[in-house]
Amino acid sequence: MYVTETHEQVRDMARQFADEVIRPVAVDLDRDERFPGEIFEQMGDLGLFGIGVPEALGGPGFDTLAYALVMEELSRGYASVADQCGLVELISTLLVRHGTAEQQAQWLKPVMSAKTKVAYCLTEAEAGSDLSGLRTTADRDGAGWKLNGGKIWIHNAPVADIGFVLARTDKNAGHRGMSIFIVDLNAKGVERGPKEHKMGQRASQVGALNFSDVMLPPEALLGEEGRGFHMMMSVLDKGRVGIGSLAVGIGQAGLEAALDYAQQRKQFNAKIADFQGVQWLLADMAKDIEAARLLVQSAAVKIDRGENATKACSMAKCFAGDMAVARTADAVQIFGGSGYIRGFEVERLYRDAKITQIYEGTNQIQRMIIARELVKHGARG
Amino acid sequence: MKILVPVKRVVDFNVKIRVKPDGSGVDLQNVKMSMNPFDEIAVEEALRLKEAGKAEEVVVVSIGPAKAEETLRTALAMGADRAILVETDDAVEPLAIAKILKGIVEAESPGLVILGKQAIDDDSNQTGQMLAALLGWGQGTFASKVELADGQVAVTREIDGGLQTVSVRLPAVITTDLRLNEPRYASLPNIMKAKKKPLEKTTPADFGVAIAARLRILKTEEPVRRIAGVKVGSVAELVDKLKTEAGVL
Repeated sequence: MYVTETHEQVRDMARQFADEVIRPVAVDLDRDERFPGEIFEQMGDLGLFGIGVPEALGGPGFDTLAYALVMEELSRGYASVADQCGLVELISTLLVRHGTAEQQAQWLKPVMSAKTKVAYCLTEAEAGSDLSGLRTTADRDGAGWKLNGGKIWIHNAPVADIGFVLARTDKNAGHRGMSIFIVDLNAKGVERGPKEHKMGQRASQVGALNFSDVMLPPEALLGEEGRGFHMMMSVLDKGRVGIGSLAVGIGQAGLEAALDYAQQRKQFNAKIADFQGVQWLLADMAKDIEAARLLVQSAAVKIDRGENATKACSMAKCFAGDMAVARTADAVQIFGGSGYIRGFEVERLYRDAKITQIYEGTNQIQRMIIARELVKHGARG
Repeated sequence: MKILVPVKRVVDFNVKIRVKPDGSGVDLQNVKMSMNPFDEIAVEEALRLKEAGKAEEVVVVSIGPAKAEETLRTALAMGADRAILVETDDAVEPLAIAKILKGIVEAESPGLVILGKQAIDDDSNQTGQMLAALLGWGQGTFASKVELADGQVAVTREIDGGLQTVSVRLPAVITTDLRLNEPRYASLPNIMKAKKKPLEKTTPADFGVAIAARLRILKTEEPVRRIAGVKVGSVAELVDKLKTEAGVL
């Protein structure tokens, strides 16, 4: 619908890379919970990190639609690999929009080449969907700041070199009292919690970070003081397109596996794909995946056209996440007993899908946003 | 030195080919098309020679429909410097392709022409050889290794009995075999840059080449379906079946 020839080239490259490099090792990465640094370095060389970074700043300069296409294909290979692409996209978008020329010069290149590993540090024990409970603080200390507090469930926390940390700089200013700091995670006072063992997307390294009197230089502040909450929010639309695409990729991988299996597996002297009960499962998978894909692409195009994309992005993320869970469950169903066994792709896909209803804003929050936008702008707004 | 690499737009190698119901050819409606895989290897080899400082420019050319521009953009995204599209909607046979390429070689004067050994659609395996003959140049076909030095190119060829190395004086024609190299992925920055690289459009008439068909396709058929094999319980049973059923012992 919106996909140009150049977009197709990007998608084809990502698809080939996923087929040749990612998908063959996904089962091992899942089993071993291993951080695939060697794959990320290759992705850095291919320009798959920081897809939207403008050419003037050393990036490929692609639009959100290209990012969505890449995320779907990488995720079709393995969602944990795609999620790293999504993380770097958010960080680099923050740097492009809000970083000083010095910060861009210092961080964009190493982050895009995957030489510097990043973490996006929002969530705390008392602050998840509702960030008003944020307790991490950065207090003025000379020319710089002193950081104290703790973050949980932070993607890349066990391995990251730098963190983009949301902290309170003014306790009395609510959402206007939060700022973002670029924090050296090997600095004195930073403590990493143990790696969490998750249900799905197990190659993604997730854990806690604790900060006690971590000294931050003045240049650690990203953008304007007190604008941290708004900066974080400003990249969420794009983030939701990313996670929506990731969910579509999981669904697509499930459909491909299930369709293959249904055409091979025989019962009662017939391929199970010949039975209507199985056909309906396959048909529902295909139509819901396509619907989710088009919602995601339409949301991406809204962002690229500079339109208000909040509702579209929430609808895409919410629908795609719910779709991925329901339709990978169907894929497991088509595989029957085999689909319940570790090592079969669909078993992993079902586990990998679940988090897409939770992270980047739970699907309950997405529904709140959709309803709020409806009330604000009307049924056609 | 300049290297010329002809590339062909063919049905993607992953596509399950369907024959048209009337048997007149292969159904190309809504089928994914890509660069011929052997041509990708040719582009890659040219780029490696350039990166090794042995060539200054890589020019890609395609003869085919307007859509072949996509194939050229792919080659440009891999790293080729510029492209020439010789546009025609007619099916062009190897001899006519070779004649058009001869015209391009005369205009561009490359030191090397690197082609895929064959295209995976018609599997003719003729264009490279015909081009060398028309130009009166040496040729090294089915290359699995290419070494360039002192105005000569040593081409290791994959032949039935093993490997053969020939030394060819430049300018020369090389055709690539599967094991010559592994083509690179086009990176995102290079895909973006490829949009701005020069692509010149011409027609077969510009080279004075008549592309009228010399071959007539009588019929296109699907290959006979392979029937599933039989599992045997023991070596004795296998030997017995080879004797009594297959009759090969």
